[in-house]
Order: sequence, then structure tokens, then C-alpha cells
Amino acid sequence: MTSGLKSGKTIEAVGKRLLPLVLAIAAGAPIAWSAPPDASAARAILERRCQACHGPQGMSGLDVTSREALLAGGKRGPSLVAGDPDASLLIQVISGRHELRMPMGREALPPDEVRTLTDWVRQGAPWGGGAAESEALWWSFRPPVKAEPPDASKNPVDAFIDATLESKGLTPLPRADKRTLVRRAYFDLHGLPPTPEQVDAFVQDDSPDAWPRLIDELLASPRYGERWGRHWLDVVRYADTGGFETDIYFPNAWRYRDYVIESFNDDKPYDRFVREQIAGDELWPDDLEARGSYDIPAEKKEHLEARIGTGMYTIGPIYHEAALDGRQLRYEWLTDVVDTTGLAFLGLTVGCSRCHDHKFDPITQRDYHRMMALFAGSEPHEEPVSHPMSQLGFYSGYPKILQVEELKAAVRRIDAGARQRLVRTIEARFPEEVVAAHRKPVHERSEAEIALAARLETALTEAGLKENAAGKEVDLSYTPDERRERESLLRRLGDAALGARFEPDTATVLGRAPVDYAVEMTSRGDFHGTGETVVAGFPKALTGGEERPATPPGAGERFILGRRTALADWLTSPEHPLTARVLANRLWQGHFGRGLAATANDFGKQGDPPTHPELLDWLAVDLREHGWRVKRMHRLIMTSRAYQRQSGPHEGNAAIDADNRFLWRMNRQRLEAEALRDSVLAVSGSLNLKMGGRPVIPPLTADEMQGMWSPDQWPVALDPREHDRRSVYLYVKRSFPLPMLTTFDAPDSSQSCSRRDVTTVAPQALAMLNSELMTEQARRLGERLREDAAGGPDAWIRRAWRLTLGRAPSEDETAVAMRLFAGSSDPGEALPQLALLVLNLNEFLYVD
Amino acid sequence: MSTNVTGQFCGRDARLASRRDFLARAGLGFGMLAAADLLGREARAAERPAGKAKSVIFLFMHGGPSHIDSFDPKPLLNQLDGKPAPASFGKADFQFTKMDEVPLLGSPRTFRRRGQSGLEISDLFENVAAHADDLAVIRSLHHDGFTHVTGQNWMNTGWARVGRPSVGSWVTYGLGTENDNLPAFMVMLDGPIKAGSPAYGAGFLPAKFQGTVLRGEGPPILNVERTPMLDEGEQRRLLDSLGELNRRHFAARTDDSELAARIASYELAFRMQTSVPELAALDGESEATKKLYGLEEPATHDFGVQCLRARRMVERGVRFVQIYSGGRKGGAGTGWDGHNQINENHEVMARSVDKPIAGLLADLKSRGLLDSTLVVWGGDFGRTPFTDGAESGSGNRNGRDHNPYGFSVWLAGGGVRGGQAIGATDEIGLRAVEDKVHVHDLHATMLGLLGIDHSQLTYFFQGRDFRLTDVGGQNNLVERLT
Repeated sequence: MTSGLKSGKTIEAVGKRLLPLVLAIAAGAPIAWSAPPDASAARAILERRCQACHGPQGMSGLDVTSREALLAGGKRGPSLVAGDPDASLLIQVISGRHELRMPMGREALPPDEVRTLTDWVRQGAPWGGGAAESEALWWSFRPPVKAEPPDASKNPVDAFIDATLESKGLTPLPRADKRTLVRRAYFDLHGLPPTPEQVDAFVQDDSPDAWPRLIDELLASPRYGERWGRHWLDVVRYADTGGFETDIYFPNAWRYRDYVIESFNDDKPYDRFVREQIAGDELWPDDLEARGSYDIPAEKKEHLEARIGTGMYTIGPIYHEAALDGRQLRYEWLTDVVDTTGLAFLGLTVGCSRCHDHKFDPITQRDYHRMMALFAGSEPHEEPVSHPMSQLGFYSGYPKILQVEELKAAVRRIDAGARQRLVRTIEARFPEEVVAAHRKPVHERSEAEIALAARLETALTEAGLKENAAGKEVDLSYTPDERRERESLLRRLGDAALGARFEPDTATVLGRAPVDYAVEMTSRGDFHGTGETVVAGFPKALTGGEERPATPPGAGERFILGRRTALADWLTSPEHPLTARVLANRLWQGHFGRGLAATANDFGKQGDPPTHPELLDWLAVDLREHGWRVKRMHRLIMTSRAYQRQSGPHEGNAAIDADNRFLWRMNRQRLEAEALRDSVLAVSGSLNLKMGGRPVIPPLTADEMQGMWSPDQWPVALDPREHDRRSVYLYVKRSFPLPMLTTFDAPDSSQSCSRRDVTTVAPQALAMLNSELMTEQARRLGERLREDAAGGPDAWIRRAWRLTLGRAPSEDETAVAMRLFAGSSDPGEALPQLALLVLNLNEFLYVD
Repeated sequence: MSTNVTGQFCGRDARLASRRDFLARAGLGFGMLAAADLLGREARAAERPAGKAKSVIFLFMHGGPSHIDSFDPKPLLNQLDGKPAPASFGKADFQFTKMDEVPLLGSPRTFRRRGQSGLEISDLFENVAAHADDLAVIRSLHHDGFTHVTGQNWMNTGWARVGRPSVGSWVTYGLGTENDNLPAFMVMLDGPIKAGSPAYGAGFLPAKFQGTVLRGEGPPILNVERTPMLDEGEQRRLLDSLGELNRRHFAARTDDSELAARIASYELAFRMQTSVPELAALDGESEATKKLYGLEEPATHDFGVQCLRARRMVERGVRFVQIYSGGRKGGAGTGWDGHNQINENHEVMARSVDKPIAGLLADLKSRGLLDSTLVVWGGDFGRTPFTDGAESGSGNRNGRDHNPYGFSVWLAGGGVRGGQAIGATDEIGLRAVEDKVHVHDLHATMLGLLGIDHSQLTYFFQGRDFRLTDVGGQNNLVERLT
């Protein structure tokens, strides 16, 4: 630490913009070596085995994060007696020589670890330097280095992977057949099955570049953005509502969803994608000034789009009732913002640090609050997305809205009259003193009047005129005149509403808050601050151990516009150790089902270290060196032999690497919820490929609707073709995720999802067999089979296999499927059964 | 993917790289149990913990029942009726009410000593009171969530914010199931609840541990009714063909346990089509039993049906049952949320549950199930000793606001020694003051009665081990209750 500081200062004196981080590492390395090797091994064990409970403010007052703290010990006295393992409580409790056994409730430490610690204490328990250099040495905190691939003649991906396979004694499986490959590529890039014709075209194409051409074709299709955009929407916890009881609707969330899909389709450089989402408004401000036309110039449209990127920070969960206290609302918003930023871009679980210093990663509570301050001068804004001419035009039509309001008020007056009559009728059933008591203001009633009024109150409640536990609604009766008048008003209301435009086109984006709220340190997640104000900045451990304020060059600390720019600049700077690595890993995970580092949102110490660190680094640097282009990376990965391998079993390999961590084969993957629904619709011929726009609210059965708190928040799309849109366009209501999608492990969108669950439970089978969706789709697929294939069951079975599995059935399979037609006078009647059968095949849901 | 048995879980993915790894992470001993569900049933049988309770029925009064009108008598409050709260009781935040602007409100209910123990219970629960000697009332429960969603989250998940696993999920994660034809954690609602499905959700635990809602109307479980497209024979034939084709597919991929699990899941689904309606149907119950639960009276019918189904569930080995009273039915239902006219509200609500709950306790006891079934009664929170400030700023003189700072729950069965009250609120029932029991302590106690050490029931997620009881649960009442 001390030496790191010194070096950092030297560099700043040199005046380079180079991040102190790089230097801390350069400076840190020798320190690490200067400590005896046993010290780092011992410290690693303490950190891994003990620190979870015994960090700073640890259980029983014991803190294992420094030598001093260990010597001081906790409630039970000193833990360490340097040089004397037998007398050291630490050694006693881990070696079973004390009534207290540690780690509490866990497996005992393996003998070699006990030995290491014992030897270390015997040597006087040396500690080495401060904490900083060990952080700097953590793999993901080092800038990635592009090593020379071990074999220059291969695709670099294969060069690294093959080298590892060889060193582990694993045999890579051969290339999968072309039918398997074409399905793999379609599901991977589009989330949809290839049509039989698309399968044939590829299988019959013998040209050497058939595979890369297929990949290019698929990447050029807008279906690609819908598929890979959805992956990103998982990461940014996308939803169309705020969740909780009131579940407020976000009218413009879909613009951000479309922005994501378009960004992937346009192959937007990832650094630009990051910069837009974090600071689009600051980096590309635009006033959209008029130029004599309603059209917005292309360049301005691009700026507008960049601003919509910041929509990422306007779609998080909002606990509406938190707004009872404005400070809490803001605190919860900043929490979501910082947590999501950490998980999505840094791949770090910074959320742990809201209430206390991170127990494992070098992220302090202070760092967390400094990150909050990055966003404290910002807040969601609604901004017009049309030309000023159009915006003003909206107000010329405003009187039509007034007309609608007038008509609504007229209807309500009639209702109020009828309501008043009903009240009078009920009052007439009671003695005068009851009515008189009830008419008095509540707080002026005497005890006796309260009792009297309660009788009438109860009757009114029972009539539905007051809020009541039974949920009874009032039943008003109208005079013939009233009824006529009301119906006429309703007709006029309908006409007026048809002619009115109720909202201008806007986007919800981040903008500058009217007040630059100071962020104070808090205590254990209580939003009331402690009074200590922090200055915006990045986690110290990632900036060379020094607190660097996030201000643009030349600006004061209180500069509002520019803090997010500073964050965006920092994240996308060439030296940043995490941004490119985290993305390269997500891309890898998208293709292989598991990242090179398996925990895509946790590159910290509790995460899984990468199986192929050199490859991950190579990909990260290569990505950055080639303009952060994502499609290029897809091509590189998919043209590797590693991607094209078979997914089958191999006994010898399984004995060494059953989990396929080293990629001797391709991982078999189940379709995600959206891909499954989309594929069913595609196969049945129903899929509507219309892109973009407001979320589609699909119809639900009465059974499915049970449990929805506010059914009036579910206005179903009335155009049935809309119900067959791709799943990425369906309404994501936080308090009520779509049953079919949740059943198949769609994320709950309460926080960033790095990787989908893959559970296998009976309700999935029930949904696939019995749900209305599947019943309807089986019926449609049955119809399609009849239309596509003349000639009866044999031809239908063949077609069904080709549509769902991209291959012809074997004779045995045909015989099994034929049983569905047995004993039926009209074989056509069993067509939906055949359809339901093929849609339930494992081979349809699992991609080899 | 063949990387592991149950799959990968969002955010904590692939940390469970193997079953053995899972065991190591889930913690010694108890982890064996948690893993039993993954490994099959044997481990569970061998390592069942020593708790007397095997299953739980959690009766949840949605909206927040008033402790000072039911299980926590406050004579001083009645004397101070209409007066401002004395300053000595301190200040606190409430959802609507500013406590210095509203008067105290005495309880109109009559409390009496009940049973041999003399436990005091009000006349709102005359039937439940007959079981006083089986009830252990905790009068000093507290948390800090003064809105419904936070209160319901606290009580169900041990955390104010959404996203943590519910207590039922933790219990089934820990103990697994004893009936392979039914979900291990089942929930019955009388309408949607404010906290929504996260109140019985699995949070970051695998989805298989989430509560399955047994519906009051229509098919008892979503999609459990056979598609109208097929008759029974046709469905069986289709499943036979499907099984055969899937087994052929599996033959070349025998190392992929997920494929095998999916084949098996279709057979479970098929059995559930029968076992779930059988569970829900009450035809086989005697008239006397139905009467015991109040099924013949309109006021008690709905909750009675749920209580009776709860007994049928625990009989069949369902691990955790939760029943809600007071969810929204159609219109503006307020449940137990007595902001206005709390006495009238509570009379209606208590009447609907009192007899069914008493019937449940009696029925469990007569069938010898009470010892192995822990019954818990509670709600979002309690209510304020002063009137509600919600209406017109001047306060509603007949209602009470939410009060999470001190309120009552009771436990019965599962080895709990009844006829006792634990802890106390202050003299007006505003705050827990003696032997305070935090929600974490309640959860620790519930787990403890099932034989689970709450500090050992952990799950690794986003970089650390999580527990139901977070860092709390120190005031574990198990020893005092048993």
C-alpha cells in the first residue's frame, strides 16, 4: 500500500492520464513477492475459510483480516501467539484440539491447510504488506493481457482450448453433423428453429465457406437482435412496470427495449453501447432545434437514440410506497442504479457494500456511496422524442382532450345523482337522529352519535357505497331519462376519445436533477444519512487504491453533468480490467451456456475463476482492439471447432471432466422460456414477426389471472395477431410475470440476472401438455400438417418431424407415432395429438 | 447441459458445480438434508433432524390483525381511551398517522382468562380460545415494516424488500418432501395478496422450492386439468408414445440427467392430475368433520374448506402449508386492515376464521397430528393503540393504523407447550418491551421446532451465504416452548 501510493504520486507528477491502477499493479507485484510465500498461502486460507464470519466487525469480535486484529483476537482472547501454534487459539480450533470447532458448522479444514497455517504461526505469522497489493493481484482486477495463442495455425479460440484439453488428457469430440449445426446456429443466434428448407439448404451446401456464410446470414437478420437483445435485457433487469403492490406502469420502457434490440442488430460497438446507457444525455446533448421541417435530421436521431439508452436506469423496481418519504425513494433508486451498474458492467456484486464493506471483495461501503453520488445529480425525465413542430402540434389538438373530460364529468354527474338517491333511500330506513349523527363531521360526533352513525354506516357499506371487506360494488339504478342521457353521453365520449390524442411521444431517460443531492454515508442500509458526505467516484481498489473523484478534467467536484460521463469514460478506457472481460464472458456464455468464468455477474473472490484465463483475456483485448464489435466476436467463436463439436457422451473424458469445463464437447442446452414459446409458435405457423412498439398484453385464462392483484392493470391486446408476437415484445409486469414464461425459469426482473435457471419440474410438463397456449398451438400445428402434407398419417408424421426437429423420423419413430392414429375412423382427428407429441419431445426442447 | 443435477441458478450460477460441491457448500450435516432432495430420498430418511414438528401450517391474516383487540389485553389503554398517548411511550413512524395528533383508542373487546393456564384471549376468538392451553402466544414480536408489502415480506421472507426466499421455501429446501405426488409447499389464498407471489416465492432458491397455489375455484393447480383435446385414454397413449420416443433420444445421451429428469417429470405431472384433485376434494370427509370446520355456515365456509384441505395436506406429507385470510376478492376488499371501524372489520374477519381454526386444531389433535404439525397464526403486523389518521387529517376515531413495533402471533402443536405468553408490549401495546422477539427469532424458532438449526440453513448466492434469519435469530424460543 505505502509503496503503491508512492508510485501513484510519481505517475501523477509525470502528468499522464494513465490509470493509477496499472501502476499499483506494477508496484504491487514486488511487494507480494517480498512477503514469504507462506504468508500469502496462510492469508488466502484465512480469507477463504474464516473471513465470511470473522471480517471487520466479525462474529465474537474476531477479525482475521489483519495480523494486528488476530493478535488482539475477539471475545475469547488473542487468536494468535506468534511462533507458538499450540498456544494459538486459531490453530487449536481448526485442528480439533479445542472444544470450539471452526469453521462453525462446516467441514473441517483439510489437513494440508491446517499444516500451512500451523507452519505459518510457527514462523511468527508474518503478514507481508498491506491489503492493497493482494487486491491488485486478483485476476479480474489486472488489465487483460493478450497472450500469443499457443498455435498460430488455428482459430485462436481453438489454440487456447486445445492446449488445455491436451494438458488435461481430454479428447475433443469430432464436429457435429450439419443438421445438428444448423439447428444449433439458428437457436443460438435467433432463438428459433430453422425451417426444413433452411436445414436442407445448409446440409446440401458443400462449399467450404457454407458455415461462415450461414453465420453471416443469421447475424444480418433482425431476429438476431431480438434474441441477443433479450440476453442483455436479463442483465439490466428489464420490465415494463415498477413492481410491488401498485406496480406502476412505465409508458416508455419499450423504447429502451427496442433500443437494445436495434443496438445488437446494428452491431453497435459495445463501448458506445455502454457510454450511451450510462451518459447518453451528457455525451450527446441535443436541443432538436427546428430546421423548417417536421423531419429530425439523421444525426439528431442518433443523439436521441443515445439518450434512450439511459432508459436502463428508469426501468428498475420502484417500491411506490417508499415515496411516502422522498429520501427513501431516492435512496432505493440509487441502490438499484449502483447494484445494476456493478453487476452489468463491472461484473461485481457491489450490492453487498450498501450496508457494510464487502466481506470478500475490496469494495467498501464508502465506495458504494461514492458510486451512488455518481448518479445523485441525475434523475429520470420524460423527454419529447419528436420534432418541436410536432410537439407544439400536440397542443393544437388539446381541446379534444377537454371535450373528453367534459363528457366524463357529465356521466359522473348522473351517477352521483343516482348515488345520492340511493343514500337517501337507505337513510329513510333509519330514525332521524341516526341520519343527523351520520351527517356530522366524524370528529365532531359525540360517543352516542358515533354509535348511532355506525348503524347507518353499516347499511351503506353493505350497499357497496363505502369501501367494504366483502368487495361488494354499488348497484345504481337510473331513471329512464337518466339512462337515455347517459347512453348518449357514452356514445359521444367514445367518438371524442377516438379523435383525441392523449399523450405526446416521449421517452423516459436520465437527465439532470434540479438539485444535486449530497450523498451521505448511511448505517446498515438505513437511508437516514450519518452526516458524512462523500464525493462521487469509483471503487478505490480499481483506481490504484486511491479515491479518485469522478469529475471531468477542469471541473469542480460539484459538477453535475459529467459525473456519469466520467464513469462511462472510465469503464470504456482501454486500461479498464473488467468491462471487456465481462462482455467477452457474457458472449461466451450465450454460445456455450456457461461463461469461461461461470459466474458472469461475479468476477470477485466468491465468483468462479475462469477455466481459460488466457483465452478470456485474449478475447477481451481482441474485442477492444477491433472496435468493440460484437458480431465479429460471434463469428470468431462460432467458427471455432470448439463450438462445432458434438454434444454426446465420452466415458474417458467424463472421468476427468464430467462437467465439460474444458469444452471437450458442446454443451446441450434447453431452450429458454422465450425461445421455447417462440419456437412453438414458429413451428405451428403462427409466429408474427412484427418488431417493436408498446408491449403486447396477451390474453390469460381465468385460472392464470387468479392471483393478480389488479386485473384492471391487464388490458389485453384486442388484435389477435398481436398475441403471436415474439416473447421479447410481451408485457413484463413485475408483480405478475407470465405464467408460461416463469414456469420455464424466466427471470423475475427484480435484479440483474446473469444466467437463467434451468429447472426441470412437473408444472412444466403440465403446462406443455394442458395449457390453453399449447392446446391452441397443437390445434394450429395439426391444421398446418394437414395443409402441408397430403397423404395421411405417414406424411403428417414426416412433416411434423421435419418441422420440429429438422430431420425425417426413423422407421421405429414413425411406428411409435402411428399409434396415435390407431383405432380412429378419421385419422385427421388425431392430428392435434401428433402435434402435441412432437412439441413435447426432448429433442425439440434440448439443442444438441 | 449436463453440468449438474437441478441446473444453474440466476446469479449464483454454476457455483454448484457438482453435487458433492453442493454438499460442501450447504454446510455439514444439515447440508446433507438440504441436498437430500437432489440426491433422492435415502439421505433424508437417514438424517431427519430431531424436531418434533414435521410440517407447518401458517395461518396468515392479510392486512394486519389487531393484537390489542385479540391476544394482548391492555387495561391501561382502556383507561386512557380518548386521551393523547403519554409522552413516556415515545414516538414512532406510522404509515398514515402522526401519533401526537390522534387520541388513544381502548379496545371494545372483552378479554377473559381461558383454560387451565388462564391465558387471556378476547371474545373475538371464542372458539380458538377453547384451545388456549395449546397456544403459546408471543406478545413481543416486532419488525420495522409499516406498510403491507414490507410487513408481509418481513413475516414471510425475513426481509423488507422483495427477492428473498419465503420461510416455506427454506423449510422445503431444508427438509424436502414426503409425498412425491404433491408439491412440498402449498399455499391457499382467498384472493390476491398485496405482496404478491414473492410472499411464497423461492427467491434465489431453486424454483422447485416455491409455494404452489392450490386454487379455490377452477382447477386446483394451474394446468392440472387435462387438456380438453384429449380424453384420459388418449392422454395415456400420448404419454406412452412420448416416453418411448424420449427414451430413445436419451439412449444416445445417457450422461445427461436433465433429460432423464424431464422424462420423469411427465409421469409426476400425470399423477398430479389425479392426486391434486383428490387432495382438494372433500367428498370423503364426514359430516361431523365438515361441521367442525364450519363448512355448513356461509361465514366460515371458505376458510373452513382451506383449513380442512390443510389437514389433508399434512396428512399426505405436504411439508409447509400457508393459508391467507383477507386477500382481495374482486372489489375493494380490505382484509384485516382496520383503518376504519376496526371493531366491525375484525368481527367479520374473526368470525370467518375463528371456528375453522379451532376446528383445525381439534381435528389435528384427535388424529394425533398436532404433535407433528406446527400451527402458526399471525399477520403483516399489529395495529396502533391510537386511532388512525388516514381520513381527512383529523383521524378516524374508529380505526387503527399499522403497527410493526410490537404485536402478537401464536404457535400451537409441533411440540410447543401451550398455555403460555412470551414477552410483552408496553402498557398501551405500542411497542414490544419485554423479551422482544424479532421476526428473525420467530423464524429461527419455527425452524428449530422442525429440528433445523437456523444458522446452518444457508444458501450461497451472489457472493455469500444467505440465511432466512440473516444475522439475527439469537432469541430462539425453542427451549422455552418445548
